[in-house]
Amino acid sequence: MDHRSRVFASVFAVPSLSHTTPTPIATPDLGYTALGQSFGSPFVANATGQHRAVKRNLAWSTATRFLSLPKSSNSGGVSFEIRQGLKTADVEEALRYLITGDGKTEDGNEESLLDWYTSEARLHFATAVRPILEHLWEKEIKLSSTWSVLEETQQILQHAQDLYMQSFNDHLIPVIQQLDGSVPTIRRSKSAISPSESANRKFRRDLHAVFAHSLPSQRLSKTLSYVLYDAGCAMFRLFIRQHEVQIGPPPEDPTAIRERMITVLDSLERVGLGGDTAQKAFAHAMDRLMDTFINSHYLKVDWYSQKSTVPHLRMWIKDGFCPFVELVLASLKSDTWRIQPTELQQWQDMALGRLGKARVETLFDFVIKWPKSMGAIQDIKEYLKLLNAKNNLTTAFRQQVARRLLHPGATTTWILNVYISIIHVFQTLEPKGVQLERVARPIRNYLKEREDTGRIIISSLLTDSNDRTKFGAGGELSYEIASEMQKPFANFNQEEDEELNWGDMNWQPAPTDASPDFKKSKVEDVIWFLLTLWDREEFINELKNILGDHLLKAADPEFEKEIRLLELIKVRLGDDKLQACEVMLRDVLDSKRINASIRASGNSPQPQGLQLPRTPDGVPKTPESYRLAKPSKAQLLPPSTPDSKPLQGPTLNAQILSSFFWPSLRDDEFRVPAEIEALQKDYESRFERIKGMRKLRWMNALGDGSVTLDFEDRTETFDKVFPWQVSVVYAFQPKPGEEWAAGKGKGKGKSNQAVTRNVQQLEEMLEMDEQLIRQALSFWVGKSVLREVSTDTYSVIENKSSAPSDSAAAAAAEELAEVQAQEQGAVRSQADVLLEKKDIYQSFIMGMLTAQGNIPVMRILMMMRMLVVGGFPFGEEEVKMLLEEMETEGKVIGMGGDVWGIKKA
Amino acid sequence: MATNGSSATVAQRLQKELMDLMLSPNPGLTAFPSDSNLLHWTATIEGPADTPYASLTFKLTFEFASTYPYTAPTVLFKTPIFHPNVDFSGRICLDILKEKWSAVYNVGSVLLSLQSLLGEPNNSSPLNGQAAELWDNDPEEFKRLVLARHKTPEELDAEAL
Repeated sequence: MDHRSRVFASVFAVPSLSHTTPTPIATPDLGYTALGQSFGSPFVANATGQHRAVKRNLAWSTATRFLSLPKSSNSGGVSFEIRQGLKTADVEEALRYLITGDGKTEDGNEESLLDWYTSEARLHFATAVRPILEHLWEKEIKLSSTWSVLEETQQILQHAQDLYMQSFNDHLIPVIQQLDGSVPTIRRSKSAISPSESANRKFRRDLHAVFAHSLPSQRLSKTLSYVLYDAGCAMFRLFIRQHEVQIGPPPEDPTAIRERMITVLDSLERVGLGGDTAQKAFAHAMDRLMDTFINSHYLKVDWYSQKSTVPHLRMWIKDGFCPFVELVLASLKSDTWRIQPTELQQWQDMALGRLGKARVETLFDFVIKWPKSMGAIQDIKEYLKLLNAKNNLTTAFRQQVARRLLHPGATTTWILNVYISIIHVFQTLEPKGVQLERVARPIRNYLKEREDTGRIIISSLLTDSNDRTKFGAGGELSYEIASEMQKPFANFNQEEDEELNWGDMNWQPAPTDASPDFKKSKVEDVIWFLLTLWDREEFINELKNILGDHLLKAADPEFEKEIRLLELIKVRLGDDKLQACEVMLRDVLDSKRINASIRASGNSPQPQGLQLPRTPDGVPKTPESYRLAKPSKAQLLPPSTPDSKPLQGPTLNAQILSSFFWPSLRDDEFRVPAEIEALQKDYESRFERIKGMRKLRWMNALGDGSVTLDFEDRTETFDKVFPWQVSVVYAFQPKPGEEWAAGKGKGKGKSNQAVTRNVQQLEEMLEMDEQLIRQALSFWVGKSVLREVSTDTYSVIENKSSAPSDSAAAAAAEELAEVQAQEQGAVRSQADVLLEKKDIYQSFIMGMLTAQGNIPVMRILMMMRMLVVGGFPFGEEEVKMLLEEMETEGKVIGMGGDVWGIKKA
Repeated sequence: MATNGSSATVAQRLQKELMDLMLSPNPGLTAFPSDSNLLHWTATIEGPADTPYASLTFKLTFEFASTYPYTAPTVLFKTPIFHPNVDFSGRICLDILKEKWSAVYNVGSVLLSLQSLLGEPNNSSPLNGQAAELWDNDPEEFKRLVLARHKTPEELDAEAL
């Protein structure tokens, strides 16, 4: 307060300034005269009161003038300098009088000196200090300046506090302390709070409240939080570095940071900015710090040693995080700065939960990279011990799978491979398989819907995993499945001892979170999961088809893989349904024996070994297959015919198949070369001698053969050619009457005039389907054996050198032949079945539409599946095809929206 | 268990009958389950040529009991028909559907019998006396009443709605 205002105030009461006015505002209050008393009598009752008031006012004036805080003369600057006059005896006296003497406030009516001083300090702060702080805090604090702003604030406040406290401590406290002595000893020993102490505390508290209110609390808390976070980050660089090789000096010295932080915290605490707000800010900071640490490179997935990072995390919480918290809390003078073991545990779990969530978010990538991602998987495994973690895992992962795996762009092979990885990963995560069951359900349902799933699985199982060439990137075979097949059988008989095996360190209690239909399977290797994708019946049907095809083509005379596969499936699915497959397998094995015994009994004039160049142990391949049928229990067999030159004569081996048990096989009718036919007859009669009444029906379309062709300038041998191909090329042998072309009787023709046949002739000669003839012809053209001399007319290339221009045509034909060959399976395709039963299906549809009116395709499909004896193994597409065909025939009509009805005449 | 077992055999038998009907359809006759329940069938018969019913199509329903084929199915004309052996609610008087039923009959044979009944009514035990009388005495009027009473399947469907 400047001089002028002080003069003014000494004359006129200025209420707003009243408490800062050191002099009495007005003349002393002389009390008033009670009713019935003479005015002004010195003997009135309150004479002493009057006297006291005057005295008090005087003392008040002296004391307040002495204690009043310096005011800056201009509003711009602030001075914290203490400009108090000398503490005279008067002042001393006045203070003592006001605080401890009679002038002490008695009933709260009068303002106490301490209250006045507090107000004085508050006002001083508001006018002098606060503008500076407001200037400092009015804008968002930049991250780079948080430390300095905070430090500056703290310094300003510290100065202000020092200023206020100085007078307080120097002048007021000593006076109050005199009171201390008068306090009864009993109270003192008990609560140990002296009046001076409590006055001190009260004053501080008031000051701190003023300080705290002068700052925007949210911004302050954010800033403080960032500062702590920053300090934490800087410090933990140090902490981690202790365990690693130090790479260069850290950008900031962690120790310095630590000191700086402690200083800031300590001084903040001193000016009253510690406490709850600071602790809250600190909590935020620690929260972020934990996240930062979890996402930092220290907790990266361990791709190299493939270990879990969880121990590291726990150690950090214990040895890094907790000490840091303790340090800060101690600086903030928190009552509970020591970390309890339970809190430690909580924090570790919390950190683990966050780590786990982060890992689960990218679990799909880890699955794909399995087994290199073992480290991450181990992390998640630790995480699963937490409450609710399993739910999070399954929900998150199912979403990832739905988004990234189960879409039309993924090939079935890839889905299967990923599924296998998922099985591995989840078996590691949770051996009981409850979570696996949950996440796998959508995948399994999806795989079931894909048509090629079964084929891929079974053919992959039958493929040699060592033969890497077969598993191309876009291929149909899954290397994963094939290599699973190579793994040894799991030990299936262990589980009965499981509960009693007290030495089992991996034992876990039965799962409590399993769905009601969960059933722990006995055998849990990958193949089991694949084999149980379907109902047993469906699967076995599929297996029969593929196994049939495979057995007929198999190169391994011992059928080791096939036997093993069958055993494997028996173990998993039970042996009762696999009878047909066993019969099939036994057929091919028996055939070998029968072949041998027939050959022995026949004393075949030709030596066998010479005809079979590629079967060293004399076991024949299975070149041609023929079915033999008995009325009820039939057998079919593809015999083996190394079909070679007339000189040596061909040999024949047969596969004898029990037609009842095999899937429906290709059965194209055509004539085989006469020599083969003779062999077949011979074989047949011998077989009937051995096998009693059984009859053979030859299936000429199956099997394969080796032929050696003699040309004028070369001799070529072809292995593994189809019987119809053999027949077609044999048809180019000179016929009787064509001896002019026969040369020496064993070649294919004469040098000047090669044997020529056209398609129609071949059809008549072989009684073969035209399509099949054309296929065979293009095969031989591709092999440069035949040449198309004019449309549909082919002749033998006797002299290769004479026809150099054929190579391009040959290449084209070879390509064509390859494409066609791929379409040739031994087992009839579904499309064939659909074609064959089309009439029945169509009359079903007609009947259905007649009886039930207009119905949608889905319902037709459903009814077909239910009603057709033997099942309707097709889908909506095929039903639509049938309907469309019937529509063109004018029988039915599409009503739109997939609904179909009978076309009214 | 017993009922389950027998209804399974009923279903099997009916499925087989259906398959047979599909494999060798009879001209002018169709039969098919009405919905996913195999015990309810809908059938159609075309009136035989040279009868008053020529070129008319009649809809029938079959209800099979769980004891089928040891009891006859309940067969009703759904299309209104003017016929001596069929009453106005479609009930049929035919010996093989009553006391002469035997397990060797099946849906196909019942439909064939009904088709022939259209051309050769049994006037000795009529359910519709007027029809029996007119059949013998006034074929013109009979034919007129047949046509008056007949409804096409479309009209039937429209009524059902």
